[in-house]
Amino acid sequence: MKELWRDVTKITRALWYADKQACLFCGKEHGPVCLECQTIYLCPELGRCRGCGKLIPLEKLNCLDCVAGKGPKQLDQVTAWGHYSGGFKEFIQTIKFKAHPRLIRKISRPFSDWAISQIPVVDGIVAVPMHITRLAERGFNQAEVITSALHWELGLPILPGVERLESRSSQVLLSRQERLHNLKGAFVVRQPEYYQGRSVWLVDDVTTTGATLEAVAEVLRESGVQAIYGLCLAAGLEKRLVPLQD
Amino acid sequence: MLFFLTLKENHEVSFSPFLEKDKLNSGVISYISAPLPLAIIQIVQERLYRRQPFSFRTPKNKKNILKHQILKILKDYRWDISDLTWKEVSEDSCFHEDRLDPGQDIGNETWKAFNQLVLGRQLSMGDLRGLARELRLNDKEITKLAHYNVEQGRAQWIPSVKLSERGWQCQRCGEKDVEEWPSFYGAAATCRSCESIGASTSLNVLYRDERSLLDGPSEVLFQPYWTFTEAQGLASEQVSEFIKGTSEKMALLWAACGAGKTEVCFPAAAWALKQGKSVLFAAPRQDVINDIVPRLQRDFPNYPIQVLTGTTTSVKFQAGGMVLATTHQVLRFWRSFDVIFMDEMDAFPYHGSRALEWGLKHALRQGGKLLYLTATPSYDGLKATQLGEMMLIRLPARHHRNPLPVPIWATSGNSLDPNGCTSIWEKQIESLRRQGPVLIFVPKISWIDPWIKCFKHRFPGWSVDGSYSSDSGRSIKIKNLQLGQYDIFVSTTILERGITLPGIQVVVLGADHPIFDERALVQMAGRVGRTREIPGGGVLLLSKKMTPAMKTAVQWIEEQNRLALELGLIEPLEKEGKGLEGVVERCN
Repeated sequence: MKELWRDVTKITRALWYADKQACLFCGKEHGPVCLECQTIYLCPELGRCRGCGKLIPLEKLNCLDCVAGKGPKQLDQVTAWGHYSGGFKEFIQTIKFKAHPRLIRKISRPFSDWAISQIPVVDGIVAVPMHITRLAERGFNQAEVITSALHWELGLPILPGVERLESRSSQVLLSRQERLHNLKGAFVVRQPEYYQGRSVWLVDDVTTTGATLEAVAEVLRESGVQAIYGLCLAAGLEKRLVPLQD
Repeated sequence: MLFFLTLKENHEVSFSPFLEKDKLNSGVISYISAPLPLAIIQIVQERLYRRQPFSFRTPKNKKNILKHQILKILKDYRWDISDLTWKEVSEDSCFHEDRLDPGQDIGNETWKAFNQLVLGRQLSMGDLRGLARELRLNDKEITKLAHYNVEQGRAQWIPSVKLSERGWQCQRCGEKDVEEWPSFYGAAATCRSCESIGASTSLNVLYRDERSLLDGPSEVLFQPYWTFTEAQGLASEQVSEFIKGTSEKMALLWAACGAGKTEVCFPAAAWALKQGKSVLFAAPRQDVINDIVPRLQRDFPNYPIQVLTGTTTSVKFQAGGMVLATTHQVLRFWRSFDVIFMDEMDAFPYHGSRALEWGLKHALRQGGKLLYLTATPSYDGLKATQLGEMMLIRLPARHHRNPLPVPIWATSGNSLDPNGCTSIWEKQIESLRRQGPVLIFVPKISWIDPWIKCFKHRFPGWSVDGSYSSDSGRSIKIKNLQLGQYDIFVSTTILERGITLPGIQVVVLGADHPIFDERALVQMAGRVGRTREIPGGGVLLLSKKMTPAMKTAVQWIEEQNRLALELGLIEPLEKEGKGLEGVVERCN
């Protein structure tokens, strides 16, 4: 009886006024992402490095690493929704490490809207694959869940058939050079026929140097993909936003 | 964590987190190549068990039939695993005695420490990893130790969230309303209710240690630093009878605020420990636990006490047969305690939380005793005692044999406004201040600052401050308050219970606010007159109207006083709160 009463009140409330949702990043203001968190984490006043997706000053096209030729080369453009920090970082980590893949559904609308305004429409979406061992351990691939959300919101088809062959050591502790090297030969396209002449979005949750995106892009290129756009939830911030005085 | 499904020579289907031959349980002849979640392996076991036809003779090729059946069950899931096959364990390795020896592997000291720390615990993989860091082991090593205990039958691995015919249920907190999601292995679920102490999902496992915290009767030095009052003595006898007895499983100790209900349990706790029975003092709030710790340490010198509180997710492993824990931490125990004293059962966040109630019941061993201590029983609690489901023990009087101060109501007029402090009011507060420092409760955090300003303005020269739950200076201010350094202290319900402030006088602003139910009001009134030196004082409820909660609160307090008087536990009533009455009459 109590349960029933609870449900009834819930439904009545929902009828009366739209069920207020708290901000997913700070838990306080009106969600899914409150205005303050939009400013702090989604940084509309900053640009994104076309090479690796890093957050940079709006007037620049590339970050210093990419200008120096140290960034990914196989991607036409990389972009990221927000800055991997604070409440946004916690949100992504909750999804991954506390097993809440369904949280992604709550940001699918704003994220998809933002993505379609930033990068060209393509033939399909590819998720950065996860190695079977890691997938078995976690139970889901967050990149696939994000891809599925984009597919649902935007109607772009999901392209399967990319596989991760080996689980290499985590990228976290490696240097830039090591990261790029670490992933050589880690990915393979099982069904290249899907990809001949296509354009794709390549989706991952977080990018720092773009090494993972680059490694997947490489095998996609070999399979004849024409255009590749990297799309991530979050990226790092260019450290030297203020130019150093020599 | 994932496990390898193994088949033993005696056709037993089992599992192991490791593939190394020397770590597989002896008798294992084959295993499935891909590791699987424990929940899946248990489904396989159940299905095989159900299919097993009753027969006296084992068919010759039973091994192969079993292997075929298991593979069929697994393949029916249609997972994207290409290599789902049986692998054989080579002959020479399955008989050898070179088995896992934790003592040798990691050193006897660590192995001993590990076993001390996991007794009676129910730990997630996250908890085990935390323990591994404390013991300077890696994740694999700690898994080995845990699995060793499982193999020896001292512990179990269980899926953290389990699917049964009646749906999902979190095995740590009992929550059924979990979040389901599509996983690599089909439907999976994550529990949101006990998330604050680490993730709990159907793909992961809990380590449930089934050993008792104590290994038998022992000498316990119990030196109470106080002598019981008559009231406490009576209640304590009843508590001891309940703990020693065999008939009742649960009891409710309904005590007057500040009657010393915690101490009443100490003799029974000492008896239990001597018998080798483990004891848990649980409370919903950290403050309450921190308040009990020094009292227990004082009366049980040399006895190790485990204190588990904190908002941190770290487990803080300690050993010993007496545990003090906040209710969330109780979820980390499984059938560990023979005696549980649950303090302030009705206080937030315990009251109404199904998960924590479930946890408390499951932390109790079979045949264990659960005693709820409260000054303000919930409706359900009182009803259970009336129905005879729970024994009722009363402790109606304070140790100083003075009655509980009965709240006095004064109407505040139309509205309470920090800018419109009326002069009647000031007199009342001044008169209270003459008896002691004044603690003013407000229903909302947003009231605190304006009222501090108002009082500072009205009473220049007085020391006025205030605090609330998320105030960073909270603990320092409360220390100062205990030292009597404020004239007026404005607070939300954070100081509602569990704290003793000598000479304090209480005012409740906006006592008709819905947040102040009868329990809150009784607790707030219960702050007054708790010490022998200053056994009296005033409680003033200021509001626009009188609510049923206010009426009930006054009735409860008066009823305690009446019972105490009948039992001869307090001196006949003297006139209390003389300073106030004149003013109140004028108000009314």
